[in-house]
Amino acid sequence: MNVIFAVVFLAAAVIFLLRDPEGFLPAMLAGGQKAAAVSLALLASYCVWLGFFKVMEESGLSARLANRLYPAARKLFRSENKEALALACQNLAANMLGLPGAPTPLGIAATKKFLQTGDTYAADMLFVLGATGLQLLPATVIALRAAAGSAAPADILLPTLLSAAAATLFGALLVVLTRRRR
Amino acid sequence: MKYAALALPALFIALFVYALTRRVRLYDCFTEGVKGAVPLVLSVFPYLAAVLILSELFEASGLSAALIRSLSPVFSFLGIPPEIGKLVLLKPFSGSGSTALLSELLAEYGADGYIARCACVAYGSSETVFYISAVYFAGSKKNLAKPVVIALAANFLSLLLGCFLCKIL
Repeated sequence: MNVIFAVVFLAAAVIFLLRDPEGFLPAMLAGGQKAAAVSLALLASYCVWLGFFKVMEESGLSARLANRLYPAARKLFRSENKEALALACQNLAANMLGLPGAPTPLGIAATKKFLQTGDTYAADMLFVLGATGLQLLPATVIALRAAAGSAAPADILLPTLLSAAAATLFGALLVVLTRRRR
Repeated sequence: MKYAALALPALFIALFVYALTRRVRLYDCFTEGVKGAVPLVLSVFPYLAAVLILSELFEASGLSAALIRSLSPVFSFLGIPPEIGKLVLLKPFSGSGSTALLSELLAEYGADGYIARCACVAYGSSETVFYISAVYFAGSKKNLAKPVVIALAANFLSLLLGCFLCKIL
């Protein structure tokens, strides 16, 4: 990330210097503004989901879910960290259901716990699974297509699911294959 | 689509009724959970700011447009319509930005054309890789090159496959 940040930032800054020196600061400020706006939106969705997850935890549902998924999750993530595995399973479930904003706090918490016990493999796997479009119903796309007057807004469902599934499998496979070479 | 909207209220009702049968004090418990929201946002904020400032510079400097121009022959060779190149480049950085771009594309090329369908599949089967990596790994000193490269490669594969499937399905 340090390399990408330095390369892209410097390249963009040089272009601004040569072409449009006055546009540099406004562009950065626009980025900052977006960060503030996105954080506010995140805060709003955390308010809902963190409350929801706490109720889930307190009612014992999280633990039951975790117990049932524990054997499979332990294999997938190759980790014995029970708490992190429970969070990771909930993250995957929220991802697949496409609950807007719900996977992020779970993913952050699970990653933090995995890294605390040195399970970088598990953290990588969780990230790749979450970052390859694992979702059963691409609701946003279907809604946008319907709004744009599509005759059959849901007919992109099959290609989307197939290619997302292929990406997820491919990504997971790469994580598995690159495990020992470090 | 109407039925999909039922899922969320049903989910909350199911959980809260279940919690009540387990004698959970809902109000106390819910507020306890929300307590974590502000610290969580604060811990993520610096990384979010850096990624979003970077993506804004990338876009506003014309770097992304130049990259799209130079990549468009490659894209057409691989069967990806160059019209969706911008979407492909933007998606890893910004979810809201690419959503806005997708609706522009739908308006411009019609919702049912090949380009629109490709754009929808490209949008739906990929994820905001840089954004997620910034947020998930917030504060860790771990080297992110491997997972990020893997995720980008997988997303690119889904793009290729998606455009191909749009052609034959």
